Amino acid sequence: MGADNSTASADATTGDDALLAVDEVVKAFGGLVAVDGASFDVERESITGLIGPNGAGKSTLFNCITGVHGPESGSVRLNGDEIQGLSPTEVARCGVGRTFQTPKTFRGMTVRENLAFAATNQTGERALGPLLQSGTVRSEEHEVQTRVDETLEFLELDHLADDYGSALSGGQRKLLELGRVLMMDPEIILLDEPVAGVNPSLTDDLLRRLEELNDHGRTILFIEHDMDIVMQHCDRVVVMHNGTTLASGAPDIVQNDERVVEAYLGGYA
Amino acid sequence: MGLDTFLQAVVSGLIEGSVIAVGAVGLTLSYGVTRFINFAYGEFLTYGAYLTVFLAGGLFGVSLPLPAAAVVATVVVGALGVAVSRTFFEPISDRGALPLLITSIGVSFILRNLLQGWVGVDARQLPIPLLRRQDYFGLFRLTHLELGVIAASVVTMLTIHLLLQRTMLGKRMRATSGNRSLAKTAGIDTTSVIRQTWFLSAAAGALAGVLYAVLFSPFRPGVGFEYLIVIFAATLLGGIGRPYGAMLGAFCIGLAMNFGSTYLSANYTRAYAFLILVGVLLLKPEGIRGGEF
Amino acid sequence: MALLTGWAAFVVGVATIACIYGLLTLGLNVHYGYTGLLNFGHVAFFAAGAYAAAILTMPPPSTVTNASYTVGFNLPMPWGFPVSLAAATLVGGALAALIGATSIRLGTHYLAIATFALAGVFSDVLVNEAWLTNGSFGMNSVPKPGQAALGPDRWQLAYLAFSLLSLLAVYLLVERVLDAPFGRLLKGVRESEDAAKMLGKNTTLVKLKSFVIGGMIAGFAGGVYAHYIGSVVTAQFVPQVTFTVWAAMLLGGAASNTGAVVGAVLVMTFEESTRFITTVYDWMQATLPDALSGLLPAIFGPLPNNPSFIPSMRFVIVGLLFVLVVRYRAEGLLGDPAEIEALGEEEGSE
Repeated sequence: MGADNSTASADATTGDDALLAVDEVVKAFGGLVAVDGASFDVERESITGLIGPNGAGKSTLFNCITGVHGPESGSVRLNGDEIQGLSPTEVARCGVGRTFQTPKTFRGMTVRENLAFAATNQTGERALGPLLQSGTVRSEEHEVQTRVDETLEFLELDHLADDYGSALSGGQRKLLELGRVLMMDPEIILLDEPVAGVNPSLTDDLLRRLEELNDHGRTILFIEHDMDIVMQHCDRVVVMHNGTTLASGAPDIVQNDERVVEAYLGGYA
Repeated sequence: MGLDTFLQAVVSGLIEGSVIAVGAVGLTLSYGVTRFINFAYGEFLTYGAYLTVFLAGGLFGVSLPLPAAAVVATVVVGALGVAVSRTFFEPISDRGALPLLITSIGVSFILRNLLQGWVGVDARQLPIPLLRRQDYFGLFRLTHLELGVIAASVVTMLTIHLLLQRTMLGKRMRATSGNRSLAKTAGIDTTSVIRQTWFLSAAAGALAGVLYAVLFSPFRPGVGFEYLIVIFAATLLGGIGRPYGAMLGAFCIGLAMNFGSTYLSANYTRAYAFLILVGVLLLKPEGIRGGEF
Repeated sequence: MALLTGWAAFVVGVATIACIYGLLTLGLNVHYGYTGLLNFGHVAFFAAGAYAAAILTMPPPSTVTNASYTVGFNLPMPWGFPVSLAAATLVGGALAALIGATSIRLGTHYLAIATFALAGVFSDVLVNEAWLTNGSFGMNSVPKPGQAALGPDRWQLAYLAFSLLSLLAVYLLVERVLDAPFGRLLKGVRESEDAAKMLGKNTTLVKLKSFVIGGMIAGFAGGVYAHYIGSVVTAQFVPQVTFTVWAAMLLGGAASNTGAVVGAVLVMTFEESTRFITTVYDWMQATLPDALSGLLPAIFGPLPNNPSFIPSMRFVIVGLLFVLVVRYRAEGLLGDPAEIEALGEEEGSE
C-alpha cells in the first residue's frame, strides 16, 4: 500500500493509485470560508480517515465532494474525471456512496425496503416498467432481494428486516445507512462520523464491518473525531484545520507531525 | 394612456399594496413562531370584514361608527385567533408542520362555512358613502377613504415595527421565532408568546379584511379565502417569516396587480401576483425555499 | 319513460359520483400518499380533463344557444368517447407536467401554495377565455354517450357500470405500478429527498413523474365526469373539490389505494346524503305524534333559515374530518400507522 511510504505533507501527493483526488477546494458561505484550499488523495482500496476539530470544514468538504455544494474553486476527481459541480445524483451515479452524520433513514419504509431502494438501474423504477416489462422487473427484483438478504446478514440486521426505519435505534440507523450505500455498490464510500452516537459494542461491530469491506477491496473515506479509532483502523489520515488540509499520510507519521500536534492533537492531551 | 394612467396605476397599486401589507405581515408573524403556513388565515380577513359590517349595521343592537366597529372587530377576531390556536393547533403542535398545515385547511373550511351557513352567500358591504376622488397636485386622484386605508396600513406597520423592536413581547417573539427550544430554555414562556402572536396575526388579518372591504365592496364569505393567494404571494416574495420582507413584497404585488390590470387585462389580477411569485421562486429558489427559515 | 326514482336513483347517482371521486383520490394519493407532494390544486387537473372532453365533443357553436366558444370538435359518439377520455387523460397529465415543471422543486409548503395558486389562476383562465370554454356560462351540451340508444334509466346504470370498471381498471394499474420498485422509489423520495439523491436517484424527475401520473388520473376522472353530467361549468371546479378529495384520502388512509377508494365512497355518500336532510326533517315532523310536534322546531328553529345552511354545514363536517383524522387517526381507516407517522415528521437536520 502506498500508505507505508508516504510522508506527512501539507501538499497533496498525487499518488498513481488515487481513486479520489481533492485539489485546492474552496467553499465559502457569504463571507465565511468553510473550506479554504483543501487537498488530499484517497488511494484505491485504502481506508482513509478525515479528522480535525469541530468547524474544520470536514462535513462541508464531504458536501463539496458529493455535489451538495459546488465549490468556488478547485477540483475533485474520481478516477481522474472531474466531478466537482455535478449534482448529488450525478456524483452518486459516478460511484460515490455517502452517509450522513445524522442518518437520513426512510422512516416510513421497512429496513428491507430501505435497502432495496438503493439498488441501481432497476427497470421497475420506471413508471411503465412494471406494465411493459414485468418479466424483467420480476427477475431483477429477485436479484435485488437476494442482495438485500446478503446485506442484512452482513450487517446483522436480518432480525429487523421488516421493521420500519422509525423503529430503529440511532446505531442501527447508521448500519442501515451503510447498508444502503453498499446496495449501490459504489467505488468509494464516504462515511460522515459512522460511529458517533453508536454504543460501544456496536461501534466495534461497525468498524469490523468496515475493515472487512476494505479487505474485499472497498475504498473508504470517513470522518471521525476519535483519534484512537482513526489510528487503529486507517491506512492513511488526512488532518483538516480551519478549512485546509494540514497534513496527510500514515497514522503514526501524521500523529508525530509538529503542526498537527500543535493545531489539533495538542488539544486532546 | 399617458402619464396620468401610469400614475393612477402606481397609486392604485400602493393602495392595494397597503391592504396586502397588513395581511401579509399578519400571516408572516404567525409563521415566524408556528412554522407552518396557515391556510385558515383568509378567514380572519373574512370575519373581520363581516364583523365590521354587523357592528356598524346594528346587528347586535348598536350601530357603531365605522372606525369603532373596525377596531372592535379586529380585537374580537384577534381573540378568535387565540381560540382557534388553542382548539385546533396547540394539541398537535409537537407533530411537525405537515399535520398543522393540513389541519389549517380543515379549520378554514369550518370557519368559512359556519359563517356562510349563518349569514348566507349574499354579498354584503360596509355602510360607506360613495366618495368622489379628489385631485392631488394634478397628478393623481384619491378618495378620503383610500387615504384612510393607506394611513391605517402605515400606522399598523409602524405599530408592528415598534412592537417587534421595542417591547419585551417583540423580543420574545423574535427569540421564539429564531429557535423555539432555545427560547424555552432561556425561560421564555413560548406557549404564551405563541398565543399572543396568534392574537396579533388574526387581528392583522381582520384589519386587512376591513381595509379590503372598504376598497372593494361588496364581498361574500369566500372573500378571504380567495384573497389568500395574493397574500401568500406577498408573504413568500418577501421571504416567509420576515415581517419587513412581507411589507415590501406586498407593495410589489400591489403594483404588479394594478399595472397588469391597467396595461394587460383586468381579468387576471390574481395571476399577475402569482406569476411574479413563480418567477422569483424559479430564479432564486435558494432564497425562499422550504425549510430555510 | 320511467325515470329511476327514489332511493334507486339516489344510489346510482351517488355511486357514479363516488367512482369519479375515487379516481380523483387515487390520483391525489399518488402525489401525497406515495410521494409526499402537497398538491392543493388537484381540481385543476380534473377541470382540464373535463374541459378537454367537452371541447372535443361539443357540437359546433352555431347549433348551441348562448355560445361564445369558437371550437367544438363534435366528435361523433360512440367512438368519440374513448378518444375524448384519452384526450382528457393526456391534457390532465400535460397540465401536471406544466405545473410540475415550474413548481416541483419547491419545498413542501411552497409546493402547497404554488399548486393552490396555480389552480386558482387556471380557474381564472377557464372563466375568462370564453372563446375556448364558453366562460362562466359553461359548456352544456356535452354528449352522454349511448343515452339516446339506452334511454335515461338504463343509461344511468350503464354509465355506473362503466365508471365502476374505470375505477377498477385504474385501481389495478396503480396498484401494479406502485407495488413495483417504482412505488418504493416514490416512497423513498417522500421520506428523504437528500438520501434519495445520494443514492443516485433523480428526485426531481421522480416527483415530476408522480405528479404527471396523478394528473393523468385526475384528467381521466374529469372526462368521465363531463360525459356523465353532460355539462361543464366553471363553478363546478372550485377549491372545495380539491379539499373534498383530500378529506377522502385522509379518511381512507394516505398511501393506501384501497383506502383512497373507501374514503371517496364514504365522503361522497355523506355529501350527497345531506341533500335529503330536509326531506327527512319533513318526514319526521309528519310522523311524530301531535303532542311532540313542537319538538323539532324547538330544536332546529334557532338555526338560520337560509338556503346555504345545509350545504355549508356539509363543508363544516368536511373541515372537521380534516381536523379529527389528523389529530386522532393520522393513518385514516386503512393506512399504515408507521408509514403515516413518518410522513408527518419533518426531515432530520441537514
